[in-house]
Amino acid sequence: MKTATATRTRIRKTDFHPVLRVFVYTMVLIFTVLTLYPLYWLFISSLKTNTEFQLNMTGWPWNPTLNNYPTAWRLAQFDTLFLNSVFFTVASTILVILFSLMAGFAFAKIRSKATPFLHGSFVIGILLTLQSLMVPLFLMAVSTNLYNTRLGVLIPYVGMGMPIGIYLCTEFIRSIPDSVVESARIDGASYFRIFASIIAPMTKPVAVTLAILNVSGVWNEFMLVNILVSSDALRTLPVGILKFSGPLASDHGRQFAALTIGLVPMVIFYLVFRKQITKGVSAGAVKG
Amino acid sequence: MKRLLAWWTEERRAYLLLVLPGVLVYWAVMAFPTVFSLGLSMTNYNGGVIFGNPNIQFVGLRHYLRMFNDRYFWISLKNNGLIMAISVFGQIPLGFLFAYVIHRKLIKFGDFFQTIIYLPCVISTIVVGRLWQSFFSPYGPFTKFMQTFQPGWENELAYDPQKAILPVLFVILWMYTGQYMIIFLANLQKIDPSLIEAARIDGASEWQVLTRIMLPALSGVIVTACILAISGSLKSFDLVYAMTAGNPARRTSVLALYMYDTAFKHSPNYPLANSISVFMVLLSFILIVLVRITEARFGGREE
Repeated sequence: MKTATATRTRIRKTDFHPVLRVFVYTMVLIFTVLTLYPLYWLFISSLKTNTEFQLNMTGWPWNPTLNNYPTAWRLAQFDTLFLNSVFFTVASTILVILFSLMAGFAFAKIRSKATPFLHGSFVIGILLTLQSLMVPLFLMAVSTNLYNTRLGVLIPYVGMGMPIGIYLCTEFIRSIPDSVVESARIDGASYFRIFASIIAPMTKPVAVTLAILNVSGVWNEFMLVNILVSSDALRTLPVGILKFSGPLASDHGRQFAALTIGLVPMVIFYLVFRKQITKGVSAGAVKG
Repeated sequence: MKRLLAWWTEERRAYLLLVLPGVLVYWAVMAFPTVFSLGLSMTNYNGGVIFGNPNIQFVGLRHYLRMFNDRYFWISLKNNGLIMAISVFGQIPLGFLFAYVIHRKLIKFGDFFQTIIYLPCVISTIVVGRLWQSFFSPYGPFTKFMQTFQPGWENELAYDPQKAILPVLFVILWMYTGQYMIIFLANLQKIDPSLIEAARIDGASEWQVLTRIMLPALSGVIVTACILAISGSLKSFDLVYAMTAGNPARRTSVLALYMYDTAFKHSPNYPLANSISVFMVLLSFILIVLVRITEARFGGREE
């Protein structure tokens, strides 16, 4: 411990040049201000009436009011938006984790000549951008009558989560010793039994990582719902929020209230699961 | 029949059933559309029934030629290039700098700064886009800020075709630098601290620690970060859509938005949109292969 402190003091004194230090502090402070100030401005603007916003754009509100919130909630139909976002996020996350663990188990523990090809096809998908496929996906949804249905949104969400899911699950299950599976086989257990009662309970860490990656990916996803759904009843938060506070919005107070409502859940999620999220993000950044 | 039954072991059955759901869903939404759009891009299909439609004709590469002759294609491609440049030369170096000073504890409150710098990544791009659009708009704080220095300054960011992309690039830099910081930080933590300790005791300077130990150990991660930046820049759609929708006069469009406008705005042109889709898939593969080749030639110092 003593040496560590000694080394650290030496770094500060001899190597970290004052000019460099000023530069680094300036940079982190700029980033901090640029993050906190817009959020602060967003919040205080949501407490103003439209008339006040025109006169007092950046100052503290004269008569802070929370009235914009219920109005924005009702007009933008936040009940429906939240329900849909929760549904798509939860359903796709459960399915991605289940399918990835199943296939990952097969790839890692059952010998087959098909594995290199199948597993490889998923690894390529890590780099494929769904954005580049929006038009074919739309055309497919229309011609299979899945346009404007829950299933039509859910299937792409699951497919989109599979590549990284398969990659992480296969790696993880590979690290479980083969002898665990082999001894269960000798005892006469079927592969499904081994999966359900031995492997699945051991995979909690990778399941948590996947859940974090998938929840933040799907909750914020905009493009797919935007092109695959036109009915109000199926919209999710990002799509509903853009529709309500988009370029045509004329009431700034309400617009900012809607943006704040959209922002809060993810910020809370982040502050609560900060450690797991940072771990998940770095685990998800695998080589293609 | 007997041989077939012998082949159809419990092992094979289990493998198939375990793999099937994932493979089916994934192939249906990622592999199939790639082939599907390649096919449709060479036909005149523009809506209606796809399968068994007698009016669909093969037209070859006509739509690709049209795409290459469209000025909006080049404007969009250029903007994707700018986003890629800001990612590779802005986000990655800054992300590395932040990760390094936080990891080596060269600044105070590293944990706090880390939390704040990563925060934008978790917010929905739509909310971020709308917020910054308002921020940079004539009624936002940016205008006010500029006017305190230059009274009478007029905010033309939303109208000037030359400058309109700047706020977008700025927001992209602001938003995703944290992502690279987190990735570098996680990999810096994997480097054995005793190695650095030993180097320090032997009299190595901080600069030598950085260039001789840290950077070589991270060369693989830097390549990964570049690949992420490249595929990430081709993904950019939501943010531009929410901030500018490509305007003014489609000057801030990107490839994904160009495809979106082609397919869903005014009269749809699906064959052209499919050509753009194929071009984007090809481009991302080519760029990634290029990064890999560069790595194989100049990298290779990774253990």
